[in-house]
Amino acid sequence: MTHGRLTITPSSGQLALSGSIDESSELDKLLARAQNGALVLDLAGVTFINSLGVRDWIRMLAAATQRGITVELVRVSEPIIHQLNMIIATRARTHSFFAPYACDRCGREDSMLIDADAHGAQLAQLVPPGMTCPECGTAMVFNDFPERYFSFLAPQDL
Amino acid sequence: MTGYGVELADGIAQATERLDALRPRLVVTDAAIAADPAAGPFFERARACGADACMTLLSGFDRVPQILALGAVTNLLVHAMPVLAEELTVTAHKLMRGDLFGADKYLLWGTQLHETTLVRSTQRTGVVAKLEAELKSRGQSARVAQMVRLVADELISNAVHNAPVDADGTHPRKDLPRDADLALDGRHAVRVRWGCDARYVAVEVGDAFGSLDRDTALGALARQHARDAGAGAGLGLAMAYRSCDHLVFNLAPGRRTEVIALVDVRYPPTEQPPASSYNVFVEKTQ
Repeated sequence: MTHGRLTITPSSGQLALSGSIDESSELDKLLARAQNGALVLDLAGVTFINSLGVRDWIRMLAAATQRGITVELVRVSEPIIHQLNMIIATRARTHSFFAPYACDRCGREDSMLIDADAHGAQLAQLVPPGMTCPECGTAMVFNDFPERYFSFLAPQDL
Repeated sequence: MTGYGVELADGIAQATERLDALRPRLVVTDAAIAADPAAGPFFERARACGADACMTLLSGFDRVPQILALGAVTNLLVHAMPVLAEELTVTAHKLMRGDLFGADKYLLWGTQLHETTLVRSTQRTGVVAKLEAELKSRGQSARVAQMVRLVADELISNAVHNAPVDADGTHPRKDLPRDADLALDGRHAVRVRWGCDARYVAVEVGDAFGSLDRDTALGALARQHARDAGAGAGLGLAMAYRSCDHLVFNLAPGRRTEVIALVDVRYPPTEQPPASSYNVFVEKTQ
């Protein structure tokens, strides 16, 4: 199923979104796919969101609240994390997300998946979980400011 | 570096004395002047002495309303201090020469600028996606390419929908659906240029209406803390600002608006300052 430039693929109780979230995305229609009062969105494939997409996203969250639906996010891509950090109103419970890491040894830069539930206490201390370079096996370093990148997890903002 | 002499003054009293003696062409102050009651008279006198432009350096955003209230300030340069020397030099050149427009001023001499003119509004998504792909194909990181795409998308969207203004001063395309297929003919055409000189990726978006005024542009600045902005008008500019390292507004009221975004590609995210720079230039009317 496609909404404009966004492709939606149902997958084991979740909706996997891929492509761009913009003026053509009609995100509120996703709420009809909620199961047991929850809409779980896999955002790994979302590569772009603009201000019109942000507006649509916020409207979708507001409509979900009105209808008693909980929106939960898994495998959130970096472009979406930037918006969650920038605009508080876009935030929703996030179980896992991608974050930038770099390998000082081989120079590889990668977007690595972080399990926010498993590493909650560590992330609250702004300590990035350790990652191993898929290329050379060396420990990677977090490639952003933790206080900036993890700010969307701040409990007072949720 | 600019070929001009530079004189420093410590405080408004000393600066005022030097106005008469030196009759400077450009006056640069820092934001602290906004809190001084002598600031208004000083700026008036500077202009009376022939200073073409009064540029104020801001280290934050909280003093913008005070600076604007001074009236005489025509250009603002905002940056987490210290201001980059290259930025200050370009700005001084622009003001001294009265030549504000063009992204080429921010790039090394000879850098090729790629140009596209949009003649249909629906071209926007394709143009920005192609820009992202081009940057990746030239070795830029996904992060840089995505930021440039977002900035270009927001600036084009503003030029297509918010810039057009009719004789009554209303903006007939402002509330039209953003996915509507609109002809961008004549003045509606939107020109996009971009280039990279291995220091910056520059994106320039221009329209021929010149309807964006300084206060609206600075309103976006005031909303740079987009975390609290919600989803009202101006969100696009705030997002563009947060996604680049330097945002420049060149305004020729009633004739032309040009917005230039620079993304610094020299450093990884952990070595870049968290705040972006923001300049507003308004073309002098004779």
